[in-house]
Amino acid sequence: MAAKHSALSLKVLAECPVTKARACEMILPHATVNTPVFMPVGTQGSMKGLVPDQLRDLDCRLILGNTYHLGHRPGPELLEKAGGLHSFMQWDRALLTDSGGFQMVSLLDLAEITEEGVKFKSPHDGSMMLLTPEHSIGIQNAIGADIIMQLDDVVSSTVTGPRVEEAMHRTIRWLDRCLAVHKRPHDQNIFPIVQGGLDEDLRRQCARELVKRDVPGFAIGGLSGGEEKQHFWRMVTVSTDELPNNKPRYLMGVGFAVDLVVCVALGCDMFDCVFPTRTARFGCALVSTGQINLKNKTFAKDFQPIDKDCPCSTCQTYTRAYLHTVVTFETVACTLLTVHNIAYQLRLMRSMHESIIAGQFPEFVQTFFKDMFPKKNYPDWAVDALSSVNITLL
Amino acid sequence: MKFSVEKIVHGGCRLGLLHEVGKLQSVTVETPLCLLHTKAGSAPNLSMDTLGYIQNLPPIALMPLNLLAEHHETLEEYKKGIADFTAMKDFLICCSLQDPCTAVPSGYNDKTSVALWGRAGKMKVDPELFVKIQEAFQPDWFQCLGDSDTNKDSSKKRSKKAVDNTLNFLDEILKRRKSSEILQQSSVFGSIEGGFNQFERERSAKETAARGVDGFAIEGFQSDGQEFRQFHEKEFTDILGLTLKHLPEDKPRMMLGVWRPDSVLQAVSAGIDIFDSSYAYSVSEKGRALVFDFDYHKKHWESITDDDGSENSKNATTTGRGFSVDLKDSRYKDDFSPVLKGCGCYTCKTYTRAYLNHLLTTSELQSGVLLMVHNLHHYFGFFEAIRQSLREDKFQQLQQLIDGHSRSPSADR
Repeated sequence: MAAKHSALSLKVLAECPVTKARACEMILPHATVNTPVFMPVGTQGSMKGLVPDQLRDLDCRLILGNTYHLGHRPGPELLEKAGGLHSFMQWDRALLTDSGGFQMVSLLDLAEITEEGVKFKSPHDGSMMLLTPEHSIGIQNAIGADIIMQLDDVVSSTVTGPRVEEAMHRTIRWLDRCLAVHKRPHDQNIFPIVQGGLDEDLRRQCARELVKRDVPGFAIGGLSGGEEKQHFWRMVTVSTDELPNNKPRYLMGVGFAVDLVVCVALGCDMFDCVFPTRTARFGCALVSTGQINLKNKTFAKDFQPIDKDCPCSTCQTYTRAYLHTVVTFETVACTLLTVHNIAYQLRLMRSMHESIIAGQFPEFVQTFFKDMFPKKNYPDWAVDALSSVNITLL
Repeated sequence: MKFSVEKIVHGGCRLGLLHEVGKLQSVTVETPLCLLHTKAGSAPNLSMDTLGYIQNLPPIALMPLNLLAEHHETLEEYKKGIADFTAMKDFLICCSLQDPCTAVPSGYNDKTSVALWGRAGKMKVDPELFVKIQEAFQPDWFQCLGDSDTNKDSSKKRSKKAVDNTLNFLDEILKRRKSSEILQQSSVFGSIEGGFNQFERERSAKETAARGVDGFAIEGFQSDGQEFRQFHEKEFTDILGLTLKHLPEDKPRMMLGVWRPDSVLQAVSAGIDIFDSSYAYSVSEKGRALVFDFDYHKKHWESITDDDGSENSKNATTTGRGFSVDLKDSRYKDDFSPVLKGCGCYTCKTYTRAYLNHLLTTSELQSGVLLMVHNLHHYFGFFEAIRQSLREDKFQQLQQLIDGHSRSPSADR
């Protein structure tokens, strides 16, 4: 048998004839995943109070873990002893881990990036630590996720100038170092990351360089960090233009419903974001019109479920009025809203998958926007982004 | 509600049957019974999804009124009662006054009302409001208003006042209940008060018994929300014994509290029938898992070889083991065995101590879920063992086993 270069196969089931959206089936070592897909974030090997059975009940098949956190606790040695994160957390479906670089840059004040890697002061004992591409892949090999990410040189999306170009080139050099030390290409898929800030040319250059490597899929990084939305969508569409059709495209850190719908139209397949689980902790539930905060007194005597059409166990079991009495007080409320919010995200992605297959994605987008903005006060960037792929909002 | 004592063994232990309780007329529940303790209508940390992972749940949930009372207007409008509102409709609901594992601030009760502390602060509840709340909640049984703000240090005068107030509340509530159609379905438990005053305790018991209630809630010894620890004191056991002597045998006696297993057995011996599971919650909150042995059928030599779940894993016998282990302890960091070997609960069948240790050290919410599942399973299993031991006349064997744990240096945890 020929040596296997990747542990991922992507079957494009349907392409939207109007936009760049596509519906695919992605086969990973631990699951077959339909795209577009949203990946809930279980940072430290746990999904915010949900047990894996609850995620399986929601038909969730791919979740994300954070290398920075897992590398610290429980640590790669322990994860190796446990037989990897799948076995440690009893999640038998697919996992993706990030490289750890993003957390360092975003969480730590004292990160310094050199050619060698990311130097940072340990928040735990204050000692200076260095995360190199080799180290990141080593930890990710120990974690054992189906998809792992290269260490990239992350620059805040609001930074401009030569630093952005330097980071783009370094990201490519680091990719080669990551590929060289990746020990498990037969069962772990490494994704490189398109960088290049908010500069179209740099983005194109980066993507063109990355696609020369034999990798199973690609990520688009360095966005969703507070940049202008008009810049954001242009960088996304430039990147997807450059990436090959036969490999999955993962847009990192994006998870607001409106962004998801627009970026699916721009040709992205995979997404992750802490937003749905984080907002649950503050008592917010996602609905077709945006989100509602159940702490609000208006829900005190509202005896309907969060969403009467939602099949999740929270909506099938509890009323808004009951949730109002427990949100932000009882930990169970966080779990209940997390279940619903993940269900909302997964349902949204499933609807897009189905509408692309049915050849009705443009109509889906129009209806989605009408529900979300009943007064038709659509954000300009979304109108522009969608019109770039031939959708006119009603 | 009907209650019958099937058997009295080992002095005062009662094996009893509760039947025709509230909406589940056909269900028969055996005592000694442990009610499922809830907070604000849910078992702590558990949704209906995860509560369902526990196989041996009792059919009755305890809902302390203090965290729910402030929502009574919502419930009034809802009309279908608290069981339905909290999605606990598969359970019978026993509505107590205070949460057994939350400290109740002292000094706020008076002649006309009892203070209930909820999220919104203090709510003064008099008999009129109390009946109104119960009409909105429609529990299968409820504990009457009681002034339980007494302890060892309470004066004779304070204890007397507590009994006077409580009896007045009871009279007023029973009077109002008569004209309430909706509350005809609900059983009423009278509150037995009186602190540590012998005379007042006896008076409270006699007078409450004379008023024809369905059962008794015995309280007023301790209201700090901590583990109930009065049994080492003779003063307490004497007073409890005297109190119970004046209660009719054919009525159930409920005593809510954070009950360590050895105290449960002492209370059962004294003649208490109904408890609650707040101990399992309190243990879970400390990041600990219950590991005490209640399988009294096993011979002693077997328990010597069974050293799993032991704090000091070498040469462990039952003696020397506490009731629980601290899963935050770094010794469990790379322990890939289940929380308790041989335990059939969801947590033990699925996860390792190492994973629980990780969840606890990273403060992940899932730790609370998995610990509650295990600890409730274990605690309810313990109550099943109590009933079994009474049926088989082997209560003493069980008591020996549990005493072994309580002699452990780590038993206080």
